[in-house]
Formats: sequence, structure tokens, C-alpha cells
Amino acid sequence: MYHKVVLVGNLGRDPEMRYTGDGTPVTSFSIATNESWTNRDGQQQDRTTWWRISAWRRLAETCNQYLSTGSQVLVEGRMNPDPETGNPKTFTRNDGTVGASYEVTALMVKFLGRRGDEAGVDVARDEQVPPEAETDADSIPF
Amino acid sequence: MYEKIFLAGNLGRDPEMRYTPNGTAVTNFSVATNERWTTQDGQQQERTIWWRVKVWGSQAETVSQYLSKGSQVFIEGRMDPDPETGGPRVWTGNDGQARASFEIVARTVKVVGRSGGTARFDELSDEDIPPEAFFGESS
Repeated sequence: MYHKVVLVGNLGRDPEMRYTGDGTPVTSFSIATNESWTNRDGQQQDRTTWWRISAWRRLAETCNQYLSTGSQVLVEGRMNPDPETGNPKTFTRNDGTVGASYEVTALMVKFLGRRGDEAGVDVARDEQVPPEAETDADSIPF
Repeated sequence: MYEKIFLAGNLGRDPEMRYTPNGTAVTNFSVATNERWTTQDGQQQERTIWWRVKVWGSQAETVSQYLSKGSQVFIEGRMDPDPETGGPRVWTGNDGQARASFEIVARTVKVVGRSGGTARFDELSDEDIPPEAFFGESS
């Protein structure tokens, strides 16, 4: 079967690049997708969704080099669930409450520049299409 | 901004339809996407993701009529996050464990594959999705 996630959003913070145990680079960044609309009663509604994006190998290096807080990106990728449950990964915060996040492994990232910039379009792909990298949870350092 | 999620998978159970206090139909069902691949060192890998899909309006009624457990569907939609966190909704199960799920609001639902592939659904746009969908209507 099949699934795909396609997003256009802005980075909430600078990306962070790290290396797994076997030296594979991985860059992580969060993007927000915002929707605004007017409901039937004429009220303005807003919804923000946060996505944690992981980019691997050469894509990691390109993303780390070109992205920063506020950068707008197009990401095409796959959802990365908890492999045991098929549900989102959960984590425990310092205060003991449980949270969850949408984690996406990027297959392709297009750099769209910042709000107000001329649209400079760079496309970076993860040529290896890396399912095996995504499942090696032990090697992910965070 | 832009967000599209595409799924092709099978229903885990029969869909469930109900009506909101306004009389709007909403149908819920779960879809599993199972993906298998072989890694570079020859290992077989498998991943199943469970998606809880919500369909609104007249499409909800059609879906409820044409889909059943095992039906194969193609869906396009968007994520329905917890409005406070922007992330997945987290709740506590009967066993006291915290759980989260991928919740999707479907814009397009197409029946494909085994169960009567001639059934077609019109594309639903976000404008057709009623306000209840955005006010945290829980299933």
C-alpha cells in the first residue's frame, strides 16, 4: 500500500544536524503549516500543525546549509510512526505529561525562500530513498 | 501554506456514521497502510501505519454505504491535530497508558481494488467541511 505527505511550511527554529552511530548525517527541523479560514458565522479561524522533519545523508547536509528559522520549504516525505503501534511516537515531558509529534522522513525538500523573498527554488532529494535508515531507531541520537 | 496527505490502504473495521447535533453526517473509519521493502543488506522490513479517517457531509453517507471492513481506499486529506499543540491528540486509554493517533480529515475518498471499484465519490473541498470539524468535535 501507499502513503505520502506533502507539506509547505516555515521553520520554527534553525535546523540541527547530527551523526548516527555509523556516521550517517541527519538534519532535523520543525515546520509549521498554518491554515486560516472564515467559518459560516463569519469568524476567523486558525489552525497550526507542527511537523518534525528528518532529512538524511546529502539531503541532511543541504538542509543544514540552506535552512534557518523562517525558511519556507516544500517537503515531500513519509510519516514515521512508532513501529510497534503504527501510531505517532509519544514522549514524556519533564513535567511527566505525555506528548506526541508528527515525524516525517523527507524524501524531497524544495527551498522556497522566506516570506517576501523572490522565490528561489532549489530542490534537494534523498537519492537513496532510505527506508532502512528510518527504522534503525537505536542509531538515532535524539 | 499547504498540506496534503495521500493514503492507499484497507479499512480495519466497518465504518461508523453518526450525526452531529446540527444534523451533519460524519463517518469514521481506520485505514492501515502496510509497506514492505528490502534493505540494502537484504533484510525484509515492514511498517504499518494506522490512520483514523473522518469524512463529513454527504460524502460521509456515501462512504458509510459503500465501504466495509477490508475495503481498499485511496484518500487525500489533511491532518487533524490537537488545536492546542499542533501535534497529534494524546489521550489515556482504559489501561492508563497514553496513546496518540494519526487523525485525518478526508477531502477525497475513492474506492479501489477489491470491493466494487465502480463506486466513485465526488471530491470534497475544505470549504464543504462544516464548522463542527474545526471545533474539536470528538468521535
